Amino acid sequence: MANSETGTAFTEGFVEADGFRIRYLEAGQGTPLIHLHGAGGMRLTRGHDLLGRAYRVIAFEMPGFGQSPENTSTATMAALAATMAAAVTNLRIDRFNLLGTSFGGKAALWLAAQHRERVLGLVLEAPAAIRPAGTQPPSGTPEEIARRLYAHPDRLGPLPVPDPAIQAKTRALVARLRGPDRDAALEARMRDLATPTLVLFGTLDHVIPPEMGRHYKELMPNCHLVFVYDAGHAISTERPEAFAEVTTDFLERHEAFVISRTGTVIHP
Amino acid sequence: MKISYFETGRYVPPPDLPREWPVPPAAYDPATGAEAFRLMAERVRFVEQLGFDWISVSEHHYSPRILTPSPVVSAAWLAARVPTIKIALLGPIVPTSNPIRIAEELAMLDTLAPGRIVVGLLRGTTNEYLSYDLNPSEARERTDEGMELILKAWNEPQPFGWQGRYFHYRTVSIWPRPQQPPPPTYVLGTSAEAGAFAARNHCGLGVSYGTFESMGQSTAYYRQQCAQYGWAPGPDDIIYRANMILGETDDAAEDALNRRDKQAPFPVRAGLRDALLQADTTRNIAGEKRPANVGGVLPISFCGGPDRVVEQIRRCRDTIGAGVLDLSLQDPGAGDTDAMMAGLELFGRKVLPRIRDI
Repeated sequence: MANSETGTAFTEGFVEADGFRIRYLEAGQGTPLIHLHGAGGMRLTRGHDLLGRAYRVIAFEMPGFGQSPENTSTATMAALAATMAAAVTNLRIDRFNLLGTSFGGKAALWLAAQHRERVLGLVLEAPAAIRPAGTQPPSGTPEEIARRLYAHPDRLGPLPVPDPAIQAKTRALVARLRGPDRDAALEARMRDLATPTLVLFGTLDHVIPPEMGRHYKELMPNCHLVFVYDAGHAISTERPEAFAEVTTDFLERHEAFVISRTGTVIHP
Repeated sequence: MKISYFETGRYVPPPDLPREWPVPPAAYDPATGAEAFRLMAERVRFVEQLGFDWISVSEHHYSPRILTPSPVVSAAWLAARVPTIKIALLGPIVPTSNPIRIAEELAMLDTLAPGRIVVGLLRGTTNEYLSYDLNPSEARERTDEGMELILKAWNEPQPFGWQGRYFHYRTVSIWPRPQQPPPPTYVLGTSAEAGAFAARNHCGLGVSYGTFESMGQSTAYYRQQCAQYGWAPGPDDIIYRANMILGETDDAAEDALNRRDKQAPFPVRAGLRDALLQADTTRNIAGEKRPANVGGVLPISFCGGPDRVVEQIRRCRDTIGAGVLDLSLQDPGAGDTDAMMAGLELFGRKVLPRIRDI
């Protein structure tokens, strides 16, 4: 849940790539963890704060989102991924972990497929790369959007009021880049993408049904699927501790994260 | 109307048995226990021949009142010995159990006896939490999460992990799977939470022991929730478990009711009962607060000769909407099994043929 403390450890920076001036927020030390946000734009959550305790977290605002100028030049999700990879390079980061949320999950998959040797581990939070036919991004009033994004919007307190101008330019960009519900070109690459991958779905996701998770597992050779109980689409907002624990554990141990390290001794 | 017989593994207690829960294991007689389980199968064969549709088994601990700590073991035993009747597990107590183990064992049963298993998932009355040290204040949430996990384990075709509040698994991938679709599944309880969960997951609802009116409140709430999720439950989606005293005549049944032991069998002591009531304050019927049940005397919902009982069943159907009645014809824990067998036989002969079209 967002509160006044969320994101205070993060500092703002900008990096040039492909002619864009790209904003990012950064916190923490250690192996870089690059985050690509969802269609609603970059918004820090308590999940980011928790990840920042273990990683150097760099949350990008992708070109065309938020306060950045309208992006009319990026033509495809693959092109957006290439731009973001260039931005990472220009931060002088070679190898990194990658986290993609929803729309950003699809960008992250493209990026991992384009730069296999650079991505150490991939975490997809409620990814929108595989969708039931006809799926539309959340739209409507803030309340209607909240009901799609969150399992329990009533627990979150007042949500930020979106700027209509930002919404309009973002919607056009997302519509152009999101691609087909089943993207054959991307799926062909996923079949031999051996990057250790963790796919997370909230059990109450009202944007992308959690049943979509199984397709990643079927397609990708090194994929783990984890359901986050009682979370909606915005997992890191609604269950930040659960989100950060499994993300950190997976990025640290990859497939060995299935071996429990939880002690059960009660009284020695 | 479908009829189920609630089989409790009747351990016939000697008169000098300690009457307080937990009953010391030293007082257990192995020969009496073995006889209880042998007769359990015999009774189930008997009600199958009488034309009952289901039998049900349950989970209770640490006393001879209901001698079945594992409904899965009861069901496996009965499925192997009785050829056709459906066996309803009403049910495993979810918050005190490993949900994956429940999912696996029920899937195994569903494979051993395809088409015969019915599942009820239960929060359990508050006294049950004394058995495996469950904090009563966590029972509701553990139940909801456990039920969701059981359904996911049955339905998810790929291995998955579970990042819960109360349960945590990195790998779930059960073999055998249940039949597809999985067995008919009911959420057992009268609360708003139980009704909402059942509606959201397209499960049935099982209510028990309350008055027709209060159980009707609960099932009305459930139907309302189902409508919000775009479906309408039928009569088979609602179970009502209740006690019945059936006599040849109304007077005979009333006499039996008056002779009934007014003490709860094997209760917890009074101080502990009061502490349990204070520890569990979330119980409700369709959102309306009510005290917790901590193992007291259960009411008799049906009492009379065959004619009166048929009318009561008709009123029950109209008020609760239940299409499945799960009946005890004598209090669990009472030793007079002859009277119970006579009641079952009378029910099969004089009541069952007249309620099929209700």
